[in-house]
Amino acid sequence: MDTVLSLDHVSKIYPNGRGARNITFSVERGQVVGLLGPNGSGKTTIMKSITGLSQPTEGTVTVFGADAADRERALAKVGSLIEQPALYENLTAQDHLRMAARYYPNVDQARMDKVLEIVGLAPYRKERCGKFSLGMKQRMGLGLALLSEPELMILDEPTNGLDIEATVEIREIIIRLAKEKGVTFLVASHLASEIEKMCDKVLVLHEGEMLSFDTKEEALRLNPSLEDYFLAKVRDKKGSVVL
Amino acid sequence: MERFFANLSNELFKLRKRKKYLVFLILGSAICVASALRVLIVNYITDGGVSRQAILGGLMSSNLTFLLLLFLPLMAIMATCDLFVGEQVDHTIRFSLMRPVGKGKIFFSKAAAAFLLCAFDLAVMYVVTTLTQVCLGGGTEGILTSLGASLLDLIPLAVLVLFFSLINQLVKGSSLTVLLCVVCYVGLLILGTYTPAVGGLVFTGYLRWHNLWIGITLPLLSLLPRIGLLAGYGLVFGCCGYLLFDRREA
Repeated sequence: MDTVLSLDHVSKIYPNGRGARNITFSVERGQVVGLLGPNGSGKTTIMKSITGLSQPTEGTVTVFGADAADRERALAKVGSLIEQPALYENLTAQDHLRMAARYYPNVDQARMDKVLEIVGLAPYRKERCGKFSLGMKQRMGLGLALLSEPELMILDEPTNGLDIEATVEIREIIIRLAKEKGVTFLVASHLASEIEKMCDKVLVLHEGEMLSFDTKEEALRLNPSLEDYFLAKVRDKKGSVVL
Repeated sequence: MERFFANLSNELFKLRKRKKYLVFLILGSAICVASALRVLIVNYITDGGVSRQAILGGLMSSNLTFLLLLFLPLMAIMATCDLFVGEQVDHTIRFSLMRPVGKGKIFFSKAAAAFLLCAFDLAVMYVVTTLTQVCLGGGTEGILTSLGASLLDLIPLAVLVLFFSLINQLVKGSSLTVLLCVVCYVGLLILGTYTPAVGGLVFTGYLRWHNLWIGITLPLLSLLPRIGLLAGYGLVFGCCGYLLFDRREA
């Protein structure tokens, strides 16, 4: 298998003591990996370290064989949506896509139109993003991440603010892109049910520590659901602390 | 360099989409026209008997002081604060940071966009002032000299933009950054004006750079230390600004 992303003993500790500690895992091409953990468990910290939004305190992040610090090589085939989408209130959806397209030689007007169709924003292409609802902003963020037809997508709570229909749509897009085009996904969520429906592997995080990294089948072998698997892992950790 | 220019295009596009810069450009142009009308009215009231050509001949040169010391630094402060700290505060800086482009290219393309905005404004002011001069009967005297002076003054303007870009990396709040830029700039201007001993060492003293080249015939060798000083300031501001930008978390 072809490794597209690997983290080797990565730690990122913020001045308030929070962050992520000693994270080691790798993701193969075409896999959909879910980062599961409650708020503040370090999911976003890991994603920021991968996309170069913050620099790890220790360890190395390798994306498509390039060190994450080498941004031009590492991010060339990466699309990401971290926390809330970075949108300029006074610019339209079309403006955002045009601006993003300048970084990628393969993106043309047809691709921009297609992306707007995929995320359901084609009728609103000339509307300012400042007027968008939370769900529309989230769709726009997804559209920007999809624009360059990336081989690795890093999505932090991608269905945040979306209604049930849109949530299912986004999930189907992720599953379809992974199966048909071999796109690799790293998806963070605090909802075990969401991770269970779309991921092949699951990485459990709690208070900045990596508790496990198993395939979904492995996780569900002894547990009826990923929620139970997560709770079991957290109980194991707390139990080991008490002992 | 392709990605540098991609980012530069985006930064310029963002500035173009903000209407306040257009408003300020119109305001600045109106002030340039008003300054010409003012000298004509003063001459008419005092019945000075001086010809219009003599009064309006060096209109751009007199406007340059207002432009270089007040208007363009204000534009540079606004542009750098919008592109750096403003984007950090509302997290829109992630739009560029999540793309395959180096942080150095992002930093310098933002500074270049702020500089190009100032250069564009200066060019518009030059055209407006020249047209005013010609239309009000001032003739074409001094037009080429003013053009040369404006072009020369772009050099210290670039250093000033790098200086403001550096200040933008020091604090996190937008208002505080604007205030800090204004206080530092005014402070340096006052220091250069009222402390002759250090006046030659402060870069803001060279904002009217054309004074060294036009009208005064200094040998080139005596200008070399000043050129070196300005280049040194530019390098220090650019490198320190980039280092702080690179270490900043988004």
